[in-house]
Amino acid sequence: MRRILTVASLAVVMFSSSCSRFHNAPTVTDSKDARYVVISPIYNEIIWALGAQDKVVGVDLSTTYPPDVKKVTTVGYHRALSAEGILSLHPTAIIHDNNIGPPQVVEQLKQMNIAMKTFTAKNDSFEGTKALIREMGAYFHKEEKAEELCKTMDAQKAASLEKVKQYSDRPKVAVIHFGRASNVYMVVGKGSGGDGGGVSQMIDLAGGDMAVESNGRGMQRLESPEILAQANPDVILLTDFGYDRLGSMDQIKALPGVATSNAARNGHIYRIEENVLNYFGPRSGENIEKVAAVIHQK
Amino acid sequence: MTKQHGTRRGLLVVLAFATLIVLAASIRFGAIDFSVADIRHALTSLIPGQPEPTLDQRIFLELRLPRAILCLFVGASLGVGGTLMQALFRNPIVEPGLVGTSSGAAFGSAMFFVLGGVLHLSASIWTLPIAACIGGITSTYLVFLLAKSREDGRASIVMLLLTGLAVNALFMSAIGFLSYIARDPQARSITFWSLGTLSGANWKSVVIVSISTTTGTLLALRFAKQLNALMIGEEEATYLGVNVNRLKWIVLSANVVIVAIATAFTGVISFVGLIVPHILRMLGGADNRYLIVGSALLGATLLSLADLIARLSLRPAELPIGIVTSAVGVPIFITLLRRRQYVF
Repeated sequence: MRRILTVASLAVVMFSSSCSRFHNAPTVTDSKDARYVVISPIYNEIIWALGAQDKVVGVDLSTTYPPDVKKVTTVGYHRALSAEGILSLHPTAIIHDNNIGPPQVVEQLKQMNIAMKTFTAKNDSFEGTKALIREMGAYFHKEEKAEELCKTMDAQKAASLEKVKQYSDRPKVAVIHFGRASNVYMVVGKGSGGDGGGVSQMIDLAGGDMAVESNGRGMQRLESPEILAQANPDVILLTDFGYDRLGSMDQIKALPGVATSNAARNGHIYRIEENVLNYFGPRSGENIEKVAAVIHQK
Repeated sequence: MTKQHGTRRGLLVVLAFATLIVLAASIRFGAIDFSVADIRHALTSLIPGQPEPTLDQRIFLELRLPRAILCLFVGASLGVGGTLMQALFRNPIVEPGLVGTSSGAAFGSAMFFVLGGVLHLSASIWTLPIAACIGGITSTYLVFLLAKSREDGRASIVMLLLTGLAVNALFMSAIGFLSYIARDPQARSITFWSLGTLSGANWKSVVIVSISTTTGTLLALRFAKQLNALMIGEEEATYLGVNVNRLKWIVLSANVVIVAIATAFTGVISFVGLIVPHILRMLGGADNRYLIVGSALLGATLLSLADLIARLSLRPAELPIGIVTSAVGVPIFITLLRRRQYVF
């Protein structure tokens, strides 16, 4: 039977490889009948904010905001996609932020001639986010709404910064994040770019200084106690998942290097939502104020 | 003896039918369900002169069909690999990846994920499988080399077994190091690869894996009788006229080729290679001729079943197949184990 199968599969291969009539890269433009699978939480948030969501037929597993996105079919985790699953939704294009996998599946999608779209602007800063919103607004023909969103962001940022001025102190802040892929606690270093790149900028805008240098990497594992102990932060923030996982202040103080810090001695260890701190998007303006309220509390 | 012979033949026929039934289900059901008419239309669209296939038909022809067939061959590879290794090592806990093959392949893929970007390797359909295959074969060769005795150039079974364990540990630590220096998305790619998936199947991978599996299985069948003789012991087999040293290299090489190539295209799929030979031994005894054919069929059936579950449980999203193989395999295995007085 195996032999028959081999022969049969060879025959089909010859057939299918002779079918090379599907090879011209499609261009992507928005149209009335467009059906999009959007694999990027930030793209989805902006699409919903722009009011362009009626063409979205599939989203990735990590997209959770706004709550309405849960009504849309999910195509799974962005690094473990399945071509068939995506194609079963009959998309006219897949919109993604270049963070998709596995590589074989990306290749399959290309070979099936499915249009792919990635926006050029990146939400790696406040201004970058506005550029991305404008770019997406132009693509989905929602230019006015995009301008409105940018204005709101600016206004909220200005209001937040006004509130930040009330605080006279400028605490040294260490941010500890639980990396779920590698199951370790990581400390976020100063500087933009890479994993946790948004954190530095948000802490700065909220009137704080990053306690730990990044040494060229966004996050580093919290395994050497010296890193944190030497930085001696005034405030330690734990992102929500890692904070809840440890549960109590005693457990948090047991993390390497935490106990000796000013933050631990004065009880300035707080929980913060990861998507408030490590995020740039339409909600960033108001988030500055939220972060400031946490790091300046006495 | 003849009665048992008849039982085995019956079992193999039943297994062949089971394989066909699961294959049919695997072809029909998934993110999209295809009816028999859909399948017929898709196949006729290949005939020159017919209208171009629709998107759904292309999904069937270019994604579903190669995946279902690849799944059969990969399952068969793992089953046969497990049988060969358990027969050679005369040890029930041996998996096909034991001599370093799967940890080496995983190391190759981890190298690709972490360093691929730095070295500007383009992510074509070949680079990842080639990296994994090179890793698998290199690590196995390392085991061979280190297990060889300095005096007579032979490798005893115990040396191979222990060297295999040691080299596996070495490569696992190398993978650990690569995950440590990896960025978050790379670390996740490594994790998912080590859970296996058949979602990347295409016709080219089907051709390659079908050739390696068929060759490996036929080769194994030729040496099945000698493996039977080996079961009573190395020395005894030698008295029976078996060139044990040659048999070792042949069986190990056949195993490496089929397992490294299958793993290269799908990632590490655990447990199938371990339980398939045991299930067959419980049902029909330990004749390696029966076990090799049976493990090809049962491996194919179990893996197809697992893939079907992986595709249907969260559709249109999928589970990594490694999660399913254990979840499906363990209950079957334990049930059989408890029902019978099983001695390896």
